[in-house]
Amino acid sequence: MTGSGMSGVLTAGSQTWELTRRSVVGERRQLLSVMPGLIFPLLLAAVYTKQFSRVLDMPGFPEVDSFLDFILPACIVQAVSFGATAAGSELALDIENGFLDRLLASPVARWPILLGRLAGAAVVASVKTIVILALFLLFGARVAGGPAAMLVLVVVAALLVLVIGGLAQVMAFRTGSQEAVGATFPLIFVSIFMSSAFFPTNLMTGWFKVVAENNPLSWIINPVRRLVINGWSSADAIQALGLPAALAAVTISAAVMALNRRLATP
Amino acid sequence: MTVVIEASGLVRHFGDIVAVDGVDLSIDEGEVFGFLGPNGAGKSTVVRMLTTLLHPTSGSARVGGCDIRTQAGDIRRMIGVALQDAAIDPLMTGSELIRLQAVLHGIPRSVIRRRGPELLERVGLTAAVDRRVGTYSGGMRRRLDLALSLVHEPQILFLDEPTTGLDPTSRQALWAEVRRLNTDLGTTVFLTTQYLEEADQLAGRVAIIDEGRLVREGTPTELKATVGAPTLRVEVDQEHVATTRDVMTGFGEERPSREGRVAIGLSEGAAQVAAVVRALDTAGVTVIHLELDAPSLDDVFAHATGRRLEGSGDEQ
Amino acid sequence: MSTATVATGAGHGLNVSLAICVRGMQRLRARPVLLIPTVVMPVFFVVSFTGAFSSLTRIEGYGTSNIFNWMAPYAALQGAVFAGVGGAMSAADDIENGFFDRLLLTPGSRLPILVGTIGYSAVRSFIPTTGVLLVAALGGLELPGGVPGLVSLYVATAGMAVVFCLMGLTVAYRLRSLRSMMIVQVIGFSSMFLSIGQVPIDFLDGWLHDAARLNPLTNVLRLSRQGFVGEMSWDLTWPGLVALLAMTVVGGLAALRALTRLAP
Repeated sequence: MTGSGMSGVLTAGSQTWELTRRSVVGERRQLLSVMPGLIFPLLLAAVYTKQFSRVLDMPGFPEVDSFLDFILPACIVQAVSFGATAAGSELALDIENGFLDRLLASPVARWPILLGRLAGAAVVASVKTIVILALFLLFGARVAGGPAAMLVLVVVAALLVLVIGGLAQVMAFRTGSQEAVGATFPLIFVSIFMSSAFFPTNLMTGWFKVVAENNPLSWIINPVRRLVINGWSSADAIQALGLPAALAAVTISAAVMALNRRLATP
Repeated sequence: MTVVIEASGLVRHFGDIVAVDGVDLSIDEGEVFGFLGPNGAGKSTVVRMLTTLLHPTSGSARVGGCDIRTQAGDIRRMIGVALQDAAIDPLMTGSELIRLQAVLHGIPRSVIRRRGPELLERVGLTAAVDRRVGTYSGGMRRRLDLALSLVHEPQILFLDEPTTGLDPTSRQALWAEVRRLNTDLGTTVFLTTQYLEEADQLAGRVAIIDEGRLVREGTPTELKATVGAPTLRVEVDQEHVATTRDVMTGFGEERPSREGRVAIGLSEGAAQVAAVVRALDTAGVTVIHLELDAPSLDDVFAHATGRRLEGSGDEQ
Repeated sequence: MSTATVATGAGHGLNVSLAICVRGMQRLRARPVLLIPTVVMPVFFVVSFTGAFSSLTRIEGYGTSNIFNWMAPYAALQGAVFAGVGGAMSAADDIENGFFDRLLLTPGSRLPILVGTIGYSAVRSFIPTTGVLLVAALGGLELPGGVPGLVSLYVATAGMAVVFCLMGLTVAYRLRSLRSMMIVQVIGFSSMFLSIGQVPIDFLDGWLHDAARLNPLTNVLRLSRQGFVGEMSWDLTWPGLVALLAMTVVGGLAALRALTRLAP
C-alpha cells in the first residue's frame, strides 16, 4: 500500500466493507447455524428465570422485579460468544482451504481481511442482541436505563465480538486448524459461568468468588447490568463500553501481529 | 460344476440414481471371477447386495444356494468379505481385531488360538500383530483385512478392489495369496477391480460393468478375441521378405508394416504363432525379430464403452 | 467345509455383545484423549454450578445445606449423557469409515450389536461419574445415604448413558452421520435443564414446574441424588428405575428398528 494516505484508507475501507458483506451473507445463508446461538441462551434465560424466583428475596441480591432483568446481560454475552468463535473458525477454514492465500495474494490490505470477518460477526451479533432485547421486553423485562442503555447493550455486544473473535483469530493464525479454534468456545463458555453473569458475586464464597470478581467479563457485565436495573449513568456507560473497546484493540492488534508472523515464516 | 453365485436382473436405485441396472451373473464353484469397471460403475453396489449388506430394488440372487433376501444369515456364515478401503479400526491391534472377528463369527477360542497365528503368518503380519493398525502401511492393512475375512474359513470370498492404491510389490503379494486360496483350498473368489492387469492376472472369467450394466463377459482371452485378432510382426532379411509374405498370408490377412517386415492378423489367435514360426523355418527363412501385439482388456473396455479405463484416460 | 463348529444362539449373542463392549475399552486404552470431553464437561459443571450458586442453600426449603450434595449427582448425570452420546458417536464413526459393515456381516441377530454398544456406554459413564465425585469430595461432598446412595447414583448414570446412547444410535442409524449426534447432545442437555437439576421442584414456577413434573429425568435425578441429600427411600427409588427402564425399552425398540432398516 504505497498509495497516498487518504485514498489508501478509502480503498481499505471499501475492501473492509466488501469482506464484511461476504461474511454477513455467509452467515445469512447459514441461518440454521446461527439459531442455536440464539435459542440456547434464551432457553437458559427462560429456565433460570422460572427456577430462581425465590432467589430475588435473598439479602444481597439486586432489587429487581424479575430474574429476567438480572440475566439479560448474561443472555446477550452468551449469544454473542457463539457467533464470535465462529468468526475465528471460519478464518481457520479459509486458511485450511487456501482462500486466505488467495486473499493475501490479491492487492488487499491486511487488516481489512481480519476486520471484515469480525465486522460481519459484529453486525450479526447486534441483530441478535436486538432480537433478544425485543423478546425480553415482550416477556416483561424492564430496561431502567431506557433506549440509551439499550443502545449501549447493542454496542457492547458488537465490541465483545471483536474481543472474542480477535482472540479466536489469533488462535486460527497460530494453529491454522479449525478444530483448535473450536476448542476456544468451551473456554469462553466456562469463563461466562465463572463470572457475575448468572449470579451476583457478593453471594458467592471462597476461591470461586475471587475468580468471578476478577473475571474481566464481570467488569463488563456489572455496569451493563446496573444500566438495566438501576437506570442511566454515564459512568457505567463509559465503563461498559470502554473496557471491551480497549480489549478489542488489544486482541485485534494481536491478530494482526499473528498474521504478520504467519506471513514472515515461510 | 455347481453354481455358487447366481444373480438375475439385479437392480438397485439410490433415489433417482440407478446404480445397478439389471445385472445377471452365474459363477461356478472354484472360479476366480473378475468384476471389472471404472469408479462408480456399480461394482461395489453389486458386492454389497451379494453380501447381504443391501437389498436390491428388484431382481434376485443366490449365494451358496441361499437367497440374499430371505437367507442372509446362512450366506453370512459362508462368505468372507474384504470391503473397499479395508475398513479397519486404527485404534485396535491386529490380534485384537482377529479375536473380535472370531467372536463375531462364533468361532471357539481354542480354534482361533491356533488359526489366528496361522492366518497372520500366511499374510506376513506375524511381526506386527501387537501394533495398532493405525501404524500399518496400506498394503499391511489390506493383508490384515484379507486375513480377517478368512477367519471363519469361508467357501466364497468377496474382495472389493483389494489392491486399489497399493504399490506394485504389495499388489503382487496379495495376488499370490488370492491365487493360493483358490488353488489350495478351492475357494471361490469374486473380485472387483478397476485394474485391467489385475483381472487379467487373477480372473479365470471377467465381467465388465459400466454405468450399472454388464457390457461384456467371458474369459480374458475370449474377450480380447472379440476386439480383433492379435497382430504378428516378423522381421527378416530383405531377400526373404517375399517368401515370408507368401508363407504368412496363409495364416491370416496381411496388415500394414514397415519395410523389411511382414505383419498379419492371426485369425485364430495367439496360439497360431508356433505354427507360423514352424512354417517359416520349413521355408528356410531366418527370423531376426518377432513381435505379437495382443489386444488388452483395455481395448475390450474401449470397444464396449467407447472410453478407456484407469490411467489410460490421460492418453486420450 | 468349515472345520470350526459355529456357535449360535444366546451364548453367541452374549459373546458378541461382550466383544463389542471390550472393543470400546480397547479403543479408550489406545487413545485416552477420547475421554477428555466426557470428563471435563461434567467436572466443569460441578465446579461452576457449586461455585456460582452456592448461596442457594441458604434459601428456606432447598434440599440440603451443602451445595455439592445437590449439584454433584446433577453434574454426573450430565456426564452420563455425554458418555451415552459418545458411545453412539463411536458407532456413527464406524458407519462412516466402514467398520460397521464388518459387524453387519456377522451371522445371527442384530441385537447383540446394540447390546454391546450400550453396554460400553454404561461402563464408560462410570468414568465421568467417578471424576465428578472426586472433585466434589474435594469440595466437601457428603454421603448420608451410604453405599446404597453411591450405588443408586452409579445405576442412574449408567441407565442415563444407556438411554442417550440408544437415542444417539437411532439417529446415527437413520442419518448415518457423525454431525447428527449434536442434536442428541442438545436434547440431552436441554431435557436435564427442564428438570430439578439446580433447584428443588418447589422452587420452579409456572410452565417449568409442569415440565419438570412430567419430565422422566426428574425421577432419575431424585434416584441419583437421594443418598447425598438424605436417607435412602424406596419412594424415591422405584420411579427413577421405572423411568429408566421405560426409556430404555422405547429407545431400544427405536434403535433396533433403525438398525434393521439400515442393514436388512
